[in-house]
Amino acid sequence: MSAPSSLDPLLTFLSYSLLKVQDIFFQLPGSAVIARYVRSSHQNDPGRTALELILVVFAVRTLLQSRTRTDRSASNFVKLTEKEIDELVEEWVPEPFTAPLTPAEVHELANLPVIQGASGPKPKLVNTGKTVLNLASYNFAGLAGNEQIKERAIETLRKYGLGSCGPPGFYGTIDVHMDLERDIAEFLGTESCIIYSQGFSTVASVIPAFCKRGDLIVADRGVNFAIHKGIDISRSNVRWFDHNDLKSLETVLESIEKERKKKGGKLTRRFIVTEGIFENDGQMLDLPKLIELKQKYKYRLILDESFSFGTVGRTGRGLTELYNVPATQIDMIVGSIANSLCSAGGFCAGSRVVVDHQRINGSSFVFSAAMPALMAVSASEGISLLTSQPSLLTTLHENIRAFRLILDATATVCPIQIPSHPASAIVHIQYRPNAPATLQVPTATSHKLSLSPSKQSNPSSLAPRDAQEFDIELEDKLLQDVVDEALSQGVLITRAKRLRGQEPAEPRPSIRIAITAALTKKEIEKAGSVVRSALVKVLGKRR
Amino acid sequence: MTSKKRSSPSLSGKSSAAEYLSALSHKDALARNVVGVNGSRVSSPSTTPALSIASSSMYTSSSDDTEIAELVDDGLSFPSVPPTSEIVYTTRHSEFGHCSNEAYRYTPHHDPSRPVSGHVEEDPPYYILFTTYISYLLLIIIGHIRDFFGKKFYPKDYRHLMPFNGYAALNSDFDSFYTRRLKTRLDDCFSRPVTGVPGRTITLLDRVSEDELNTFKFTGTKTRALNVSSYNYLGFAQARGACADAVEESLNRYGISACGSRSQGGTLDLHVAAEALVARFVGQEDALITSMGFATNSATIPALVGKGCLVISDEYNHASIRFGVRLSGASVRMFKHNDMKDLESLLREAISQGQPRTHRPWKKILLIVEGLYSMEGTLLDLPAIVKLKQKYKFYLYVDEAHSIGALGAHGRGVADYFNIPPHSIDILMGTFTKSFGAAGGYIAGSHALVSRLRLRSHANAYAESMAPAILTQIIASLSCITGVESSAPSSALTSSHTVTAATDDSRDYRGPVPASCLPSWIELSPSLRSGEEGRVRLRRLAFNARYLSRALIKLGFITYGHADAPIVPLLLFHPGKMSQFSRLMLERKTPIVVVVVGYPATPLVTSRVRFCLSASHTKEDVDLVLDACDEIGDLIDLKHGSGDRWPLEEIKRRAVELVEME
Ligand SMILES: Cc1ncc(COP(=O)(O)O)c(C=O)c1O
Repeated sequence: MSAPSSLDPLLTFLSYSLLKVQDIFFQLPGSAVIARYVRSSHQNDPGRTALELILVVFAVRTLLQSRTRTDRSASNFVKLTEKEIDELVEEWVPEPFTAPLTPAEVHELANLPVIQGASGPKPKLVNTGKTVLNLASYNFAGLAGNEQIKERAIETLRKYGLGSCGPPGFYGTIDVHMDLERDIAEFLGTESCIIYSQGFSTVASVIPAFCKRGDLIVADRGVNFAIHKGIDISRSNVRWFDHNDLKSLETVLESIEKERKKKGGKLTRRFIVTEGIFENDGQMLDLPKLIELKQKYKYRLILDESFSFGTVGRTGRGLTELYNVPATQIDMIVGSIANSLCSAGGFCAGSRVVVDHQRINGSSFVFSAAMPALMAVSASEGISLLTSQPSLLTTLHENIRAFRLILDATATVCPIQIPSHPASAIVHIQYRPNAPATLQVPTATSHKLSLSPSKQSNPSSLAPRDAQEFDIELEDKLLQDVVDEALSQGVLITRAKRLRGQEPAEPRPSIRIAITAALTKKEIEKAGSVVRSALVKVLGKRR
Repeated sequence: MTSKKRSSPSLSGKSSAAEYLSALSHKDALARNVVGVNGSRVSSPSTTPALSIASSSMYTSSSDDTEIAELVDDGLSFPSVPPTSEIVYTTRHSEFGHCSNEAYRYTPHHDPSRPVSGHVEEDPPYYILFTTYISYLLLIIIGHIRDFFGKKFYPKDYRHLMPFNGYAALNSDFDSFYTRRLKTRLDDCFSRPVTGVPGRTITLLDRVSEDELNTFKFTGTKTRALNVSSYNYLGFAQARGACADAVEESLNRYGISACGSRSQGGTLDLHVAAEALVARFVGQEDALITSMGFATNSATIPALVGKGCLVISDEYNHASIRFGVRLSGASVRMFKHNDMKDLESLLREAISQGQPRTHRPWKKILLIVEGLYSMEGTLLDLPAIVKLKQKYKFYLYVDEAHSIGALGAHGRGVADYFNIPPHSIDILMGTFTKSFGAAGGYIAGSHALVSRLRLRSHANAYAESMAPAILTQIIASLSCITGVESSAPSSALTSSHTVTAATDDSRDYRGPVPASCLPSWIELSPSLRSGEEGRVRLRRLAFNARYLSRALIKLGFITYGHADAPIVPLLLFHPGKMSQFSRLMLERKTPIVVVVVGYPATPLVTSRVRFCLSASHTKEDVDLVLDACDEIGDLIDLKHGSGDRWPLEEIKRRAVELVEME
């Protein structure tokens, strides 16, 4: 073999450089200790030295592996000359960056209501210059414009300034943030809590912080957009169950369990993801039943309470208060600080382990500036108002009842349906034509569900078996007419604005009403009758 | 690194460095009249440094500071040169430093004849790299050993890492290894809780750990420290002054929240006004404001591109961009950080090869880059990119989170710095958290594009809209930077939301804004209206940035980034030096808080400390940082730069010359 001789110069070079390195190394403070450690460990177990060396090689390899590597080696790569590439570049015409607006879209943007001055129960609109009764903005407990909160906010401003100027990891953790986290945890009865600086981004960060590739998520078909985005980005396997149908959930869980028993394999993390009150239609979850299922099948529960926190339960603690379920039975309670506390941000409450995990893994927590101090203080103040003044929530609940009384009666004279739960502070109104003539061609499956209830939806597909058929364009237009009519009579309501084309499952068009405790029962009733007359005027004749 | 390891009491033979370190910190502690017990700092309330001393004539009688303990000169509360009778400062020195020396100003300008990325990233000596790898290795091995025994002897502590009762581990021991075994060792350097204004100085809530940094207890004392960590480029983090006054007025008028999403009942007149101002400010036709900077990227990018589109992204792009791109479903390719050659070859390949497998041409290609990279301090090579854009027809999205307000003679970001018309960039994105002392972000572009985003951006439909107080801070700080045109004050907000302040006038967009753009109730002092204050802030920031980055190089450190960038990363390499550096800085007589970053935010070997400068710093503050770096740099062996060196005193003396050198 000739190899040894050709390796000789290399070896001398190596031993020389090794000596040199050793020299330098021993000049370092603390190097003696390292050396002693390596030596002694080598004596005990030479195998480990080998292992360590492999680790070094591995580390170097990881480092050298550029993240920007191209896939030129792929079999699919076509070799082209520079000239050909130049020609292709010359020829390539990209699509326009964005499609131009249609006249309807221009109209929609131009007619978006703009509030002049403070938002609240009776704001003035820039568009019309008139004061309206506001059933569009989220002010459930009526905290918007609260003087006590304002006062505390101003105090905070004078002590902390406005912005936090950094993410929580880099000097953005302010004492008032820790106070708010403690306040929410105590309010809900969980061990711990973490706050995010925007409600919408919270659940989309919480889900991927826990659910990784290979994990399993079982989710409701009707969850809101943010949850869909969180599920998308987690890249976990997803199974869907029918909207707010816990029987369907149980079937799905059962089939997963069977499959797992058959296949074996290792235990993966499993999550159920759903909402307390659904943003898209106001339905409410049967929490005790869900807890029972989750415990039976050993799933963790991520519950989005964005619209139930601060609106249901005697003092607004959400579904756990309403159903008298200990909050500790839910692994992650996600909620919005913006919606009912009239501040900004979102939170996730749970055990200390769950919360601390997010402090390192919650993308929009780690990589975004912390919430302004005065927002955190306002939220804390809001919570203390909710606890000290139960009348806030009682008024809200009475107002919901009063409004629903009028609306539910309207449903008997108008082609509408109200999917929302009677206790929900957001009320959705959908157009429900009875006459099949206004439907698009009904598909074969659409009406057969009642005939063959044994057939289940496919859990791997987001589309349910018995999808409702609806004509988005037509319904949106009719509902917008109702909204415009109500506005002309002095009541501000809004269509539930959707991102058509981007929604994972297109929700049925609806009008979304937000009830508030800041209006008196009389005013709510007045607003209710305006909505009724607008519905009757636009839809009544379509019966 | 090993000397600081609490977990290894067996290392009885204390190396000399360790002894020196502890002696030094003891000395510093004594100097601060603090008694060291078990390595933790405990001090009686009476020795708490003065939290803030209002030193301007305007605020001497301020009653808001109930916490003023006693007038201890901690080197931060008073300017080193007391103000003369002619100079009246309107800021608090602790929030925004007093500096009247006109020499300590600089107007940044770009010389088109010089390449942008002229900066060379210097490599450290090999022994540094070698020992860095060794120390990671040691950390990994020791971590595994501790896990091995820990699981045997303290199973309870590991329960959440192991399958339990039919549940898989929430976070497996493997996935969390780095966090538990490496990051935890430095945990006292991260997430330090603070109170008060994150301005020129910041107040830390002192804490100690009795369980190897797993949990912390508050001692009840506070430490005021010089703040070179917060993103406060123009120094608008203030609880006093015109901006805070405007915000207070706004809280009174508008309350806390806008109560809803932009498209569903949460749009206020202030949103319309602020968007018009921002559009003007950055020189685009229209702008859309979102209540969170992260979501500005993550909720907008998916509205712009989708399947069949290609996103080309710089390898060091921010997490929010990556989040958005992942959501969009578009294909992604990354190019080497700021490397225009690599970018061009990637573009040529992408366009000529088309989509994978089918070779169909890409629908569109979107290049996403940042104006100023927050971990590197590097500046986007905008002139080169604009040239490439003409040839390769991609759309360009520039995230100006760190550059807006902080770069360019008029604070208008990279386009201003390089004197390139903003219209040559399709989308300018930025955040208000850094330069404006506010929160949230914006997207600016053509009227058609922004209108489309109003309909398609996830945040616009579903996220809470920006709170009125924050909008007010943006309006006030922004008009302070631009100045306000001295036309007749308008009586009310006149703009309607469909009519945005058009940039159709041929004047330079970098001029003052018309008074009609501001709500009439915002009051600004004459020096703010004239833009004088804004100019001073910009020029002070530019001076501080150049001074620190150049001085550090002259001291012999290896730094990254562009000289005009207010972010100055100083390379530490060793993971163990991150905590040493951070602790030593905090334990000085005048404490300094710094941000240290390591893997995975940076490549494995290039752990670093990152200084963020601010217009609120004075030259003396930068001198303080230099003193500290010089001393600590010698102590823990950080000076590996190869350029010529100046002695510290000479650097301080010739600061102005240093800054003005080409
Ligand atoms: C480049 C970049 N984009 C976006 C963001 C997010 O901004 P915010 O902190 O306002 O959420 C940051 C902040 O760290 C950033 O550096």
